[in-house]
Amino acid sequence: MRALQGLRGPRAPSLPLLLLCFLAALRRSLEHGLSTAAPFKSLPVQEEMMTKYSNLSLESHNISVTAAPFTSLPVQEEMMTKSSNLSLESHSISMTEHSNMPVEKNITLERPSNVELICQFTPSGDLNSVNVTWKKGDKLLEGNYLVNATGGILYTQHRVAVINSKQMGSYSCFFGEKKQQRGTFNLKVPEINGQNKPLITYLGDSVVLMCKCQDCLPLNWTWYGGNGSVQVPIGVPVNDKYVISGKHANETRLKITQLSEDDQGTYLCHAIFELGESEGHVKLVVLSYLVPLKVFCAIAAEVVLLVAAILLFEMYTQKKKKPSDDGKEFEQGEQLKLDDSNGIENSGPRHRKNESVGQ
Amino acid sequence: MAYRAEPPDGGWGWMVVLSAFFQSALVFGVLRSFGVFFVEFVAAFEEPAARVSWIASIGIAVQQFGSPVGSALSTKFGPRPAVMTGGILTALGMLLASFATSLTHLYLSIGLLSGSGWALTFTPTLACLSRYFSRRRSLAMGLALTGVGLSSFAFAPLFQWLLNHYAWRGALLLVSALSLHLVACGALLRPLSLAEDPVVGGPGAQITSLLRHGPFLRYTVALTLINTGYFIPYVHLVAHLRDLGWDPLPAAFLLSVAAISDLVGRVASGWLGDAVPGPVARLLMLWTTLTGVILALYPVAEAPTGLVALTMAYGFTSGALTPVAFSVLPELVGTGKIYCGLGLVQMVESIGGLLGAPLSGKGNKISRWAMAAVFYHGGCRGELI
Repeated sequence: MRALQGLRGPRAPSLPLLLLCFLAALRRSLEHGLSTAAPFKSLPVQEEMMTKYSNLSLESHNISVTAAPFTSLPVQEEMMTKSSNLSLESHSISMTEHSNMPVEKNITLERPSNVELICQFTPSGDLNSVNVTWKKGDKLLEGNYLVNATGGILYTQHRVAVINSKQMGSYSCFFGEKKQQRGTFNLKVPEINGQNKPLITYLGDSVVLMCKCQDCLPLNWTWYGGNGSVQVPIGVPVNDKYVISGKHANETRLKITQLSEDDQGTYLCHAIFELGESEGHVKLVVLSYLVPLKVFCAIAAEVVLLVAAILLFEMYTQKKKKPSDDGKEFEQGEQLKLDDSNGIENSGPRHRKNESVGQ
Repeated sequence: MAYRAEPPDGGWGWMVVLSAFFQSALVFGVLRSFGVFFVEFVAAFEEPAARVSWIASIGIAVQQFGSPVGSALSTKFGPRPAVMTGGILTALGMLLASFATSLTHLYLSIGLLSGSGWALTFTPTLACLSRYFSRRRSLAMGLALTGVGLSSFAFAPLFQWLLNHYAWRGALLLVSALSLHLVACGALLRPLSLAEDPVVGGPGAQITSLLRHGPFLRYTVALTLINTGYFIPYVHLVAHLRDLGWDPLPAAFLLSVAAISDLVGRVASGWLGDAVPGPVARLLMLWTTLTGVILALYPVAEAPTGLVALTMAYGFTSGALTPVAFSVLPELVGTGKIYCGLGLVQMVESIGGLLGAPLSGKGNKISRWAMAAVFYHGGCRGELI
């Protein structure tokens, strides 16, 4: 049944042909039951599909008795269509014998899909002596992976039909017995971007917290507010203070009005996908107006002092000039004490005091 | 009141330079770094960036169109009351802006109120400065105007830091406190009575006499033309570089290079303006011609080294012409009428500034640089007359 596995990718025109070819084989395997469906070794998935399968087969049996020899047909068709609706993604890692670091690849999955994991290995010695194994997490996966050797490179391929969160995780391919080379595929749900910098707001103000997901559409969003370790869902009793909205499906906004000190803390936005959950963080800081106001008053006081100092200095220097200001000429000795009514060329009769108009 | 026959050229004048330095920093440095706030406004008020940038446009427009008012007030009452009032108005505008609930609120408080505050500070200060110096006028101008360049470097990171710690409301409050220092700067502007003052009379008389003064009018037109071309390169340089395939970071770095050479150019030209004997207008012609030539070369330059060299040269020459441009005016109209003269010039040349950027938006890459070069040459011709 390796051939079947290889052909599971949808190719619509040849579908009826395939069905005709496999009818007999499948009928036989179905009659034998689950235990003989040996080739389909990615067990958990197969189990599930079989259960769906068996539910369906029951139904179809009831519906049309005469189509008994073809009982499997509509179901198989459905299964084929189901898997044909799933997109196929292919990811590969290549390794050599001498790579010391384990090679990892992160794969982001949003919707159920078929994932093909390929490891390429270039051994220094004999190709055929290399042992190939696959593991999910720590659990060894039995059989059901292709191993191919061409042109001195060993290829191994493992297909996973990812339908729900149980199929997500880390899949690793291992080459060799003693000195194992390892390549890991990490299947994850998309990450949510909250806000890295804390949001600063003031008492009585309102704020909008936003979480966004690049290129993905979660099924649902929920917000949790945390003071300390307790996460309380927000917006469950719908009230004016919290308004959850979102212009597009890939973002969510939480508007909080009438901010108070209790609203400080970290908020979590939870995104639910078919294949799992993901969350983002937004930190909120609530300050009182007094904080910048104190700084403002300090600076304003400093300015007032400066102005007073400058004006006093001017009055002081003018006062100093007063006693000697009756017709004498002055040398431009001290530059800083230079006054408006002072000057070498100015020996005219005008010695009126400088009017301090509006100074 | 004792009248001096000649400006002191030193003494308290250096304190006025200091005051002008801080004022140009606080007025134009704040204006240039305000872009940091705009990002926050876009998010807070959920308005498009184009509408938010109107805040700066209104502020600049009010500052320039209000220059004659600032000049008239400083002629009548002296620069000190005008600048101190301006400082208080600016700070008040920012303070009210920190309570804003809508974008219109910001247009009025920052744009209108702070803008009029700026109008009452910048022009009177520069005019006062030119009254205090005659031999070393260009140098004093150059030194004072370096405040603009240095503050652009300092304020952008400072504003970002304020935004990170206090959000935009608190940050505006603190920028208001910063702007209060304009009042302190104003206190430094001791009035100077020069011999020509009683002759020229009050502001109204001055303005009418200026409007009939041929050379002044030609000079104003020349400066307007220069101003039209002035902003075009800064606006389009980054786009031009990106078109040639530059990454954003090196392109921004090149702008900084231009800013630094602008700074150097200002001081150097200021010193040169005083060292070289004869009318300063000739130097202005020199710098404008050079700038025009450099701009005309831009479409031709493709290699990175060529572009860097051109940008450095452009920064230097365009920075060089600013202090000289301001120095020519007192020679033209006399120190008595300098307040009103400068106010009028600022107002008219702002038209050029307003028109320049949109005009250059039309037409393709090459025509932009050509346009800028043409404007500079036009200004240069004005000088010849």
